[in-house]
Amino acid sequence: MKEASSERKKSSLISWIMRYASTRRVLYQLSVGTALLGALLSMAPYYMMARVVKKLLSGESSFSAYQMDFILAALFWTLRTLLHSISTSCSHKATFSVLGNIRKALCEKLTRMPLGDVQSIPSGSLKSIIVDRVDSMETTLAHILPEFTANLAVPFFLFLYLLRIDWRMAIASLLTLPVGVICMMGMMRGYTERWQNCIEKTKLLNDAAVEFINGIEVIKAFGKADSSYEKFEKAAKDGAYCYIDWMKSTLWYFAAARSIVPATMLTILPLGGILYLRGLLSAPDFIMVIILASGLIAPLFTVMSFEDDIAKARTIFDEVGEILGRTEMHRPMKTEEEPKNSGIVLRDVHFSYEKGQEILHGIDLAFLPGTVNALVGPSGSGKSTIARLIASLWDVNEGGIFLGGTDIRKISFEDYNRRVAYVSQDNYLFNTSIRENIRMGRRGATDEEVEEAAKQCGCHDFILGLEKGYDTIAGDSGGQLSGGEKQRICIARALLKNAEIIILDEATAYTDPENEALIQRSLAQVIKGKTLIVIAHRLSTIADADQIALIEDGCLRACGTQEELLRESELYRRMWEAHISSRDTDREETDHA
Amino acid sequence: MLKILQKFFRFSGEENHRRFTLSIILGVVSAFGQALRIPAIYLIVRGVLGKSLDSNTLLLSLSVLVLGVALQILSSGRGTFLQTEAGYTTSADKRMEIAGHLRYLPMGYFNQNSLGEITSVTTNTMELLGDIATRVVLLSTQGILESALITAMLLSFDIRIGAVSLLGLLLFLLINRFLQHRASSISAEKIHADSALVSQILEFIRGIAEAKSYNIGPEGNRRLSEAINHSADTNIRMEFALIPILWLQSWLIKMVGVLIAALSLRFVLDGSMEPATGIVMLIASFILFSALESAGNYSALLRFIDQSVDKAEAILSVPEMDIHGEDRRPASENIELKHVDFSYGSKKVVDDTSLSIPEKSTAAFVGPSGGGKTTLCHLIARFWDVDSGEILLDQTNVKKYSMDSLMSNFSFVFQTVYLFRDSIANNIRFGQPDAPMEQVIAAAKKACCDDFISALPDGYETIIGEGGASLSGGQRQRISIARAIMKDAPIIILDEATANVDPENERELMNAIQALTKEKTILMIAHRLKTVRNADCIFVIDKGKVVQRGTHEELIREEGIYQSFIRSRKEAVGWRLGSGSELTTSQREVES
Repeated sequence: MKEASSERKKSSLISWIMRYASTRRVLYQLSVGTALLGALLSMAPYYMMARVVKKLLSGESSFSAYQMDFILAALFWTLRTLLHSISTSCSHKATFSVLGNIRKALCEKLTRMPLGDVQSIPSGSLKSIIVDRVDSMETTLAHILPEFTANLAVPFFLFLYLLRIDWRMAIASLLTLPVGVICMMGMMRGYTERWQNCIEKTKLLNDAAVEFINGIEVIKAFGKADSSYEKFEKAAKDGAYCYIDWMKSTLWYFAAARSIVPATMLTILPLGGILYLRGLLSAPDFIMVIILASGLIAPLFTVMSFEDDIAKARTIFDEVGEILGRTEMHRPMKTEEEPKNSGIVLRDVHFSYEKGQEILHGIDLAFLPGTVNALVGPSGSGKSTIARLIASLWDVNEGGIFLGGTDIRKISFEDYNRRVAYVSQDNYLFNTSIRENIRMGRRGATDEEVEEAAKQCGCHDFILGLEKGYDTIAGDSGGQLSGGEKQRICIARALLKNAEIIILDEATAYTDPENEALIQRSLAQVIKGKTLIVIAHRLSTIADADQIALIEDGCLRACGTQEELLRESELYRRMWEAHISSRDTDREETDHA
Repeated sequence: MLKILQKFFRFSGEENHRRFTLSIILGVVSAFGQALRIPAIYLIVRGVLGKSLDSNTLLLSLSVLVLGVALQILSSGRGTFLQTEAGYTTSADKRMEIAGHLRYLPMGYFNQNSLGEITSVTTNTMELLGDIATRVVLLSTQGILESALITAMLLSFDIRIGAVSLLGLLLFLLINRFLQHRASSISAEKIHADSALVSQILEFIRGIAEAKSYNIGPEGNRRLSEAINHSADTNIRMEFALIPILWLQSWLIKMVGVLIAALSLRFVLDGSMEPATGIVMLIASFILFSALESAGNYSALLRFIDQSVDKAEAILSVPEMDIHGEDRRPASENIELKHVDFSYGSKKVVDDTSLSIPEKSTAAFVGPSGGGKTTLCHLIARFWDVDSGEILLDQTNVKKYSMDSLMSNFSFVFQTVYLFRDSIANNIRFGQPDAPMEQVIAAAKKACCDDFISALPDGYETIIGEGGASLSGGQRQRISIARAIMKDAPIIILDEATANVDPENERELMNAIQALTKEKTILMIAHRLKTVRNADCIFVIDKGKVVQRGTHEELIREEGIYQSFIRSRKEAVGWRLGSGSELTTSQREVES
């Protein structure tokens, strides 16, 4: 079912726009309508001028006989420009709200996607799609309808007018077009290879740039700045000259098309002259044909210049569509079946991040309520994946995870998140006060409770040391907190939440060892009586756990207490010994001290 | 518009400025070629009105037209080529300039943010700039040039009509100027709304996990959708503020057209203008400003050019470090700091610090996070220049060494490891491309990488993915240590927090570090009791100052930060999660 819906979303550009424009369809229709009407009205001044020419050639010599024609011409031009402005206004108004809708749709989508998937996209790229890429569709969307309509409709009406005057001259006015077609064919020669070449060179260049810039520290430390720079220099030049050389080879075709096709006079003047000489074309008609034909082709070139923009918009639509087409996670709005306790059971859990690359191959595990459980195993074994599945960052592919006997897919997000706290190394502080950040753990917590949680995590003292204390703005815009301090605030927040299940995914792995003891002490407070699932980097930390699950290559290898595992599992024994030997001296030192 | 173009020309460099200027001159020639249709039309109209049209006139008129088109082809062809060349070489030059500039920036400047921004400017921004620069000059100037040349042509026919046309053109430019001015004055509000949107969206994305886990989604979403709506409203308001001016602009040129037609007729009727000229003026009144109208929307392109130039110049204006000291080899690796001060912005990080580290000794820096110990180590390797005081290597100020010769004395083991997209062997021998395979393998063995490298299907020839993504953190760390072992620099700067990255490979990583640091001068940001205890000298750093110094035996007896550091270490190492609800933070394990 999910497959089908993602297929459906890969629909065409137009229907795609219309979907987000649905509420604004009237505005877009109005925009096209006024643009069309404007184009039609712009024929009137031509007609007025035709009358002027006729009267003049017939010898009318009183200016007052012409006055009305000029006034009407001015009036129609005024109407035409006004209509054009209305058309542009409509399309801009519609476009900006469509862009807003697209942004909202993207953000909403993110909340429905598995969290893990969202977090696997760098936040910078997501921001760039939601803000910058969507922004750059503005020009195309807002201008394309009025401009496209006007620039196509005007030549069309002009041509109809020409036909009415003299069909032979109308045909003649199009005679430069075949030249354009021939030139186009010349330009297309070797297009695919050239284009491929440019794509490739550009990719090489970008790769070289990424390597040089991101590796600059290593490059400088190894004294290779100059030689690496030369490599980059070559890539940069290649990247420029593939385009320049390509341009060079099609240059003259392009220039010829650009110059000859709009030069309708090349055919109009001689052919019109011959017809006039033979008496097949009247003087006023001839002059009118000259006026009409001179504005015939230029707008078409403007239309053509939109092609780049359309192509660009299409790639952006694809990017946006790719996000919108991703798999969603399904949870009921209201919990369908209340969990009976705080135990977690995994039943035959299979999971893969990418199709065909299964990470977990049927895990069966039970974490009893109120016990301390540890997941251990070599890196890449899948233990963190298990923790994240329990934290509901992704859904399992097969099997199920049960909380107190209830499949977690039957529990609402809200309910589940109230019961489970997941603490990893990267937690986020919002751009609001430290107090409010901690209070997010439990809405309605009093200031005293907030400060109590902060004290337990050793944050209280450094927070009071800040100029504005608990009212200091945290998050990026704050910029006053060190990484370790931020992490402690996050842990205080998780602690305030008082959830019945706590998952610690190497929560303290990246803190300074100086802070680690502090955090550990506060964690000791919070886990009493809770179901705890922990991934810790020191095996000795979890030596007393009620249950240690040893994961290797996505399978459960052994499960039991430390003693049992040491007895039964060769792998665990090896890991334990490795851990002890790297730690031995530390122990001596502590004894010593 | 002119201002942005001028700024861009200056930015593009002398050679490209010349190309752009020449292409504009060619644009004038091309516009002249196009305007030649006016005399061609005149010839025909005169013939028609004077009943004197014959094949000679037709031929002459056609020749003028053909000449015009030929001029157009030649000049626009050449001009387009110059612009293409200038556009793409500008982007290539700027890419090279930015990359070149990086060589002279202090190492301390580089962090994930700054590198991310530089990468995005060097790749995406410059790619688009090259593309847009090739057409923006032509697009933004051609409309005005064509109208100006037709105006010139009209002047040569009838000075009065020409003058009106000129006036119209000037008025158009004036309104256009006003338009630009208005746009930039309201853009402040737009920028404000946009940046509010950006920060809301960033907060939404980064905090999405927290928003879910603490069930604060709805409120966050409300703020977000307010920001989205506000940004849309602001943009609509801004467009609406400009649309009347745009309307005035296009209305004006239409009216000037009608005026020219009416005046011409008047002049014909009162006999002060030849009828054929009058008719040509009528025709010209339609084509005079059409180029201005169909020039298309280039203001977005100009705005993009403007922003790109600013972005690139922001990077290029980061002050360079003078790294052209002498190539010298120190006779010893004795390090000395004399009254060193250093601040980031206004925050003092190192405060009047003096210390010396004899060669082949191990110096351990301990202290609270944010105390300045990392910065101190960075200053020694001249990641930044000190504000005052000096740092001496072998009694010579580090500034007197050329950067390369200074760097050859140091190896770093930090948390972030960058590996190149190349074979593992080449990554290890980076810095010495000619080193034989035996040496590479020997270094890998010392760094405990040989086992896992040999287990890979392609062994040492395995290509590492972008940024080395296909290896675990610990494995990448060990490859970087093998690389440092190959370099064999006499001074090692080591951040021990690194050793926590990959718990399972803890022992291998410690062995690798041991192999690297054997018989070297070692400066380490120390966390392990073992390394701290064995250090020849321990510097306790707090608030930018050395507050305690000495050996472990000496410091453990002094009351102070060091004692409490040792105590908390002891706790962290001995910490165990208890069984069931009982928890032991006891020293049981330590004591047993």
